[in-house]
Amino acid sequence: MPRILFLAFLILMICSFCAAQSTEARSHADRGLELAQSGDLTSAESELREAVKLEPTNPEFLSTLGTLLAMQKKLDESTTVFRKAVQLAPSDLKSRRYLAANLWQLHRYSEAKRELEVILRQQPGDAPSRLLMGMVSENSGDYATAAKMLSSVPQEIEKQPESMAALASSYYHLKERDKARATLEKLASLHAVEPVQLAARIANQAGDFEESERLLNSISGTAGNSPDVEYRRASLQYRAGHFAQCQATLQPLVSSPAATPQMYNQLGWCYHKLNKPKEATESFEHAIALAPADESNFVDLIKVLEAHDFLRVGLDAANRAAGLFPKSAAIFNLKGSIESRLSQFTDAITSYKHSVEAQGSSSEGWLGLARAQVSAGLIPDATSTCTTAIERFPKDARFKVVYAKMLLNYVSPTDRTAGARAERLLKQAIANDATNPEAFFELGKVELNNGRLTDASQHLERAAKLLPQSSQVHFVLARAYRRLNRTADAQRELETFQRLKKGKSSENQEGSLTDEAKP
Amino acid sequence: MRRSLDQTSMPRPCTITLLVFLTLAIAFWKTASISASKEIFTDITEQAGITWQQFGGKSQDRFLIETMGGGVAFVDFDNDGLLDIFFVNGGETPHGKSPLPLSNALYRNLGNGKFENVAAKAGVDKLSFYGMGVAVADFDNDGYQDLYVTGYPASALFHNNRDGTFTDVTDKAGVKDAGKWAAGAAWFDYDRDGFLDLIVTNYAQFSFEDPKNCELNHVRAYCAQTAYTGLPLTLYHNNGDGTFSDVSRRSGSDKLIGRGLGVVAIDVNDDGWPDLFIARDASPNLLLVNEHDGTFEDIALDAEVAYDQNGVAKSGMGIDAGDVNGDGIPDFVITNFNDQYHSLFFGSKSLAFSDYTIASHLAGLTKTFVGWGAKFFDYDNDGKLDLMLMNGHINPEIDVTGVDVKYKEPALLLRNDGNGVFEDMREVAGAAFQRSYLGRSLAIGDFDNDGCPDAVFTTLNGPPVLLRNNVSQDNSWIGFSLQGTASNRDAIGAKITVTSGRTFTRWIAGGGSYLASHDKRVLVGLGSGAKPVDADIRWPNGIVQHLSNLQPRQYHHLVEPASPPRLKKPQN
Repeated sequence: MPRILFLAFLILMICSFCAAQSTEARSHADRGLELAQSGDLTSAESELREAVKLEPTNPEFLSTLGTLLAMQKKLDESTTVFRKAVQLAPSDLKSRRYLAANLWQLHRYSEAKRELEVILRQQPGDAPSRLLMGMVSENSGDYATAAKMLSSVPQEIEKQPESMAALASSYYHLKERDKARATLEKLASLHAVEPVQLAARIANQAGDFEESERLLNSISGTAGNSPDVEYRRASLQYRAGHFAQCQATLQPLVSSPAATPQMYNQLGWCYHKLNKPKEATESFEHAIALAPADESNFVDLIKVLEAHDFLRVGLDAANRAAGLFPKSAAIFNLKGSIESRLSQFTDAITSYKHSVEAQGSSSEGWLGLARAQVSAGLIPDATSTCTTAIERFPKDARFKVVYAKMLLNYVSPTDRTAGARAERLLKQAIANDATNPEAFFELGKVELNNGRLTDASQHLERAAKLLPQSSQVHFVLARAYRRLNRTADAQRELETFQRLKKGKSSENQEGSLTDEAKP
Repeated sequence: MRRSLDQTSMPRPCTITLLVFLTLAIAFWKTASISASKEIFTDITEQAGITWQQFGGKSQDRFLIETMGGGVAFVDFDNDGLLDIFFVNGGETPHGKSPLPLSNALYRNLGNGKFENVAAKAGVDKLSFYGMGVAVADFDNDGYQDLYVTGYPASALFHNNRDGTFTDVTDKAGVKDAGKWAAGAAWFDYDRDGFLDLIVTNYAQFSFEDPKNCELNHVRAYCAQTAYTGLPLTLYHNNGDGTFSDVSRRSGSDKLIGRGLGVVAIDVNDDGWPDLFIARDASPNLLLVNEHDGTFEDIALDAEVAYDQNGVAKSGMGIDAGDVNGDGIPDFVITNFNDQYHSLFFGSKSLAFSDYTIASHLAGLTKTFVGWGAKFFDYDNDGKLDLMLMNGHINPEIDVTGVDVKYKEPALLLRNDGNGVFEDMREVAGAAFQRSYLGRSLAIGDFDNDGCPDAVFTTLNGPPVLLRNNVSQDNSWIGFSLQGTASNRDAIGAKITVTSGRTFTRWIAGGGSYLASHDKRVLVGLGSGAKPVDADIRWPNGIVQHLSNLQPRQYHHLVEPASPPRLKKPQN
């Protein structure tokens, strides 16, 4: 009898203890909720952690903690917590939805989709979940599902401009332009500048420049034409390819006291696209004057000068920039590029070495260095650079192409394996990157020279598809067709070669400040 | 009493000295002899008495023409059987004046390894224009070699008066090529009427009033050739009466606009009619096939010789033709700019030609050089055509900006293995090949008639170099001097096939190299061993003549038969 009593007492004690624990956990949880509602998320988090510590298998506490963490952007931990909650209470669709939302924000779209599918199997009409599924699908490129989901919850998407933008984007991808425009119209009818700009950007990205322009014009002259808004408008015009309009939008801005370096920079790019290099240069110089510590304006200035073949002026700018930003890999890369084009290979090699020292993890400096060493005839150095770079950047096809070209063009009379090694490298390059036109081109030439005409033509055709503006590719393809007795194809390629070559030579004669000397 | 060895065997001090001296002298002599015999070519410029120097008119204006002249010809102008040498001078530019009066040079071969400048006496010392190159031939079939000198803004034809003098007959002949910057020229009989016609490669539109502004490393430099617009070719038809007609338009050559330089006239497709291969500078090369009707078709694209393998028009300067791989079909070398490699194309009966540049090792050997004169010839008479190349840059600043490319560059003597693979013979070629030059034109000729082809080349703003060949006599050879009767007297366009154990194919081509003219005799190396020599001559007008049992190690003067030939009786 006493044992029974003791046991009963013990059970009573345990229950009392548990009840006490449960009560304590509950009070932590309640306090946490109050704090959260008052805005003190940090303290609320502490209270909920206590609650979870006391009752680690309480899905309600876990869900609340997960929500608090998500509100503080601690998404990874929030996700872990929500997973536990959902494991403990699989029927808690709300927690599962929050979990899906976290995963979506973490760009873990397939996991998010799985969670949402569970919800929608049980509650197909759950509007928030359908909305979220629409967003996830749009982000992961499943535009059909995105359009289906988002269009099924019109009231939900009206509350969130981003979801309307996602629906419009999905319609554009599905080639349903009218539906896309109708959706953007709804977005623009919210009568605020940001939604209209968002709508214009969506149309611009989809290539619907007419719609983009119309939307931008709808906010012109309204309260939306503050300098910042006009600058954003100009940016959208630039992205739409409307460079003259971009320049016209920016011109009054840069003449006003509100001029910013970003405006001058954007104006510089507009002038570049309008083939007005002198004006572009002036704009970038203004940007530099306003923000001398901003390396990006120098980088853009040098890029534009090089693009217009103003190599001497570009080199001066690069030297200036290099003095101001001695650790800028981007600037030294550009400097090296111009020096290479001027056949000043010693200097180019020095510049690229600076770039590699500044940022060894960037492949551009290594690539420029290898090319400059090859051009300078420093074959052993170039070989060493290529070998090292291939180890560091095993998936970067370009180094394999450089190495292969070197083996093909600088063959030592005693090296009988160079051709085979080059071919192997080119095939590896293509396996790394099936969009590298140079790899296809060089491999095609090797095969052509070795009489493997069918393979050659296939690889050269691929190069021509990837780089249709290259006169060289069309020339070599013509050679391959000629040897295959495909006369009409050869003639077509030759005509393309001659047209492209003529266009290139006439370009070179325009816009030069000075002629280039024979190096 | 017997003397000890110490006392009797020890030589006296003065004897020791004498012995030592003699030993050393013998050793030195042997070494010198060995060194001299191993040197393939010896520079005999100074001992030959050649003191002339080229003047390019170098100036602050950096006119491209200042970098490009320096023509040279081997020519027996006085028909004494000895090759003389004619050098074309450049000229003054607005700010590039010569401290001394400018003059061409005509060095008469005195026969003893010496030469004497008789240009003034011959009337060919002065030009009224900036001189470039020279093409030598007997244009009127009177048995004496005439001179066509190219230049800017005119060219000139000097008729040989047969008395050691020349007369400028340019205007009368109608071959002035007025207003143009003419570079290369070649004599050839394109219509096979027995009179040599003239092709002139014009380079670019140019004026001394228009200096272009280019820089290299912040220093004023010579502009890239693409800064100058190209010109069409000029083709003159020899009317047979001392005059010429400009048939550029009729022939279609006036449409072929580009920066023309080196030219060689040779039968590319073996149909018996001379064709033209023209090297052009950053313009596509031209391979003009004779259509037999006064027109030409450019097949360079189909032959894949217009551009390099990537469709880039290289900076073609010099060009030559010869059967390098022994297949009886002419092959071609074209010199280009640094980093472009000098090109080697194997000719083919069917198009396209093969680009053998890399496989021949020419690419590796010439990557850093800017090439000009180029000539195939068999320097050692082993039966395989070797190659000599002249190199030299145009911009002095390259010494600062370049890593492996230099301003002055060595000449190259390359030995052919018989399959078109070349080996650099620099180490044994001679002291001249150990030096660097601004090399330009190159001519080949046997000036001492020993069966060994010699060479002469020019240098920009410097002295020429005359090289005597020391090694050819080790092998057997045979020489041909052809005289046309129905064909043009110089027999330009003839094809000679020699059989002596092996078969050797040679041509008397028009032009070849850069701004140069060569010994018109054909030297065929036969290698070692004495075998009978047979030869087939296809004369320019089509007659084929067969000769048997010809004696090697001598020149054979052959006159074109007037009627179908009789077979020569074999000698027992």
